[in-house]
Amino acid sequence: MLLTVDGLTKTFGSRRVLSDVSFNVGTGEVLGLIGPNGAGKTTVLECLAGLLPTNAGTLTYRGRPLPLSRRKEALFYLPDTIVPWAQQTVKWALGFFQKLYARTPERIAELAGPLRLTEIQQSRVATLSKGERKRTLLALGLLTPHPLLLLDEPFDGLDLRQTRDVMTLLRAESATGRTLFVSIHQLNDAAKVCDRLVLLNAGQCVAEGTLAELKTQANLTDGGLEEIFLALT
Amino acid sequence: MRSLSFVRLLAKDFRELLASRAFWLLLVFVGLLVGHGFITAVALYAEMSGAGGPAALPQGLTSLDGVLVPTWGAYDLAATLLFPFVAIRMVSSEKESGALKLLLQLPGTLAAKLTAKALVLLFAWLIAWVPGIAAILLWRSYGGHVYAPETLNLLLGHLLRGLLSGALGVAAAALAESAASAAIITLAFTVGTWALDFVAAGRGGFVQQLASYTPTAALRSFEQGLLRLNAVVVIVLVSCAAFAFAAIWLNSGRAIVERLLRVLLLVVIAAGAVWGGANLRATRDVSENRRNSFSVVDEAALRRIDQPLKITVLLSPEDPRLTDFEQNVLRKLRRALNKVTVEYAAGSRTGLFEGADEHYGEIWYELGGQKIVERSTIEEVVLEQIYKLANVDAPERSDDDAFPGYPLAAQPKYAAAIFYLFWPVLVIVTWWLSRR
Repeated sequence: MLLTVDGLTKTFGSRRVLSDVSFNVGTGEVLGLIGPNGAGKTTVLECLAGLLPTNAGTLTYRGRPLPLSRRKEALFYLPDTIVPWAQQTVKWALGFFQKLYARTPERIAELAGPLRLTEIQQSRVATLSKGERKRTLLALGLLTPHPLLLLDEPFDGLDLRQTRDVMTLLRAESATGRTLFVSIHQLNDAAKVCDRLVLLNAGQCVAEGTLAELKTQANLTDGGLEEIFLALT
Repeated sequence: MRSLSFVRLLAKDFRELLASRAFWLLLVFVGLLVGHGFITAVALYAEMSGAGGPAALPQGLTSLDGVLVPTWGAYDLAATLLFPFVAIRMVSSEKESGALKLLLQLPGTLAAKLTAKALVLLFAWLIAWVPGIAAILLWRSYGGHVYAPETLNLLLGHLLRGLLSGALGVAAAALAESAASAAIITLAFTVGTWALDFVAAGRGGFVQQLASYTPTAALRSFEQGLLRLNAVVVIVLVSCAAFAFAAIWLNSGRAIVERLLRVLLLVVIAAGAVWGGANLRATRDVSENRRNSFSVVDEAALRRIDQPLKITVLLSPEDPRLTDFEQNVLRKLRRALNKVTVEYAAGSRTGLFEGADEHYGEIWYELGGQKIVERSTIEEVVLEQIYKLANVDAPERSDDDAFPGYPLAAQPKYAAAIFYLFWPVLVIVTWWLSRR
């Protein structure tokens, strides 16, 4: 296992938003974190990235405890709905990450095609549409070299064709051995791109496994992820 | 690799600075303020030097008081009301846009990331100095006298003032959820220091000592040509502590309680360091007219007194005689004698209703078990009493080395065009080019 999360608990004041969440992330897989709005998906990702303090829980990375101080060596988290460095151009933002992580300029070119960034390179981040901003953020995330990449709602704001392209890109990234942990609220998208799934409901991990394993857990012989989700929550 | 990452972060913050409207507004307004200060000061200096009529006060005129301090006073205003917004924006924009979530994960410690911001802010403050430096050069071109040590001391004071403002702005932005809240915190701090200045005047003791480190009071000593090591050390320490606070508070991955404990530890360490720094007594009078020192012969005579001197002043804080006494005597005595304690014994703030107290206005000097009372606040009279108490012969003073002053009846040629036209246009064009 690349990462083992055990007993993750988080409260905001008196409200418990995560309760004893445990799951495993395997090397090179695309693991989906699914659940309804307010289930705690973003909170899980931010706790894993070390951006939010947890009340309880441990992280084990490649068999060793992963303290807060070493999180950013192991994983990178790409938040949803952020507008980083709004007055800078897309070209600058990509160049900043490429140089900071000592990636080759060709890597930007590799990403610019499938993410359709060529036309918006000179645009300021603040002026981008939701979809353009999402594609730019995805490029930033994919420019990082971390073995584990956490993506919050990577398909949110993308149209059908763009979603398909991004799925292909994520699968290709996974094929290089990189592990992706992706929070998705669109169950159809999750079923298409993820190798395994973690089902989160009301801050609790209700199931974990492949689509077939989840079907078994839900006592279903037929149906897709939507039916599984409804049966388990 | 680490240093390369730091350079990238520095470049990122520099670009963010250039994208900040607050920075460009600072540049435009500071130019206008400096221009107004300079033109008014040069005209007034010319009047005092006798332009267009008999000289009123040509003797003892100094460029420091007459031109440089009023001109650079614009930077005090800028450091209070404009520069904090540049600093706040450096942090708040990343917090509000969500970029902070990425920044926290980028290579390098949070301390390194805030150091990059501090360096960029320092650069911004130095760029804002261009109109002030231009004013000094203009003054020189008119034939004005500039004494390098006191001028550099003034610039050091404004450098520290800017550093403190920037650091407090960053700390406020780290603490507050939005830029507006951070601005309110910064403004509250500034108003608080003004209140402290007012309350502490003529009170003596800890409050007065504390008030001598408020931004305004600390800058005042630099404006008077006095280099105080304790002021330099305390301002640098407080600024570093403010940046350290920001580094602790922005680390959102740590629980609030843990962050509070770290802040508490920082406060204890910083308070200890500041206390130590405040006790550094080294000062240097870098003014050309030695305004912070007694005459050389008097200082030599005072050095022979090794017993502690206690002064009890029965003057209220708002009595102008106390201001004279503080400025012309006590400030110098504290530098010249090792052990001086001053007790302010007046009962009221204004002294208007102290008429019934027959002792009001007295100043008691106590040295070696002997006491003497005097009402005068004139330097020579006070020194005479101290020499008498200490059984030290009063030295012979000569007027040969009296400061002549540098009167100059010059007109502020080209200044209006430079500060009101050329500078704003230059800033706007540079801003426009930086946006391309």
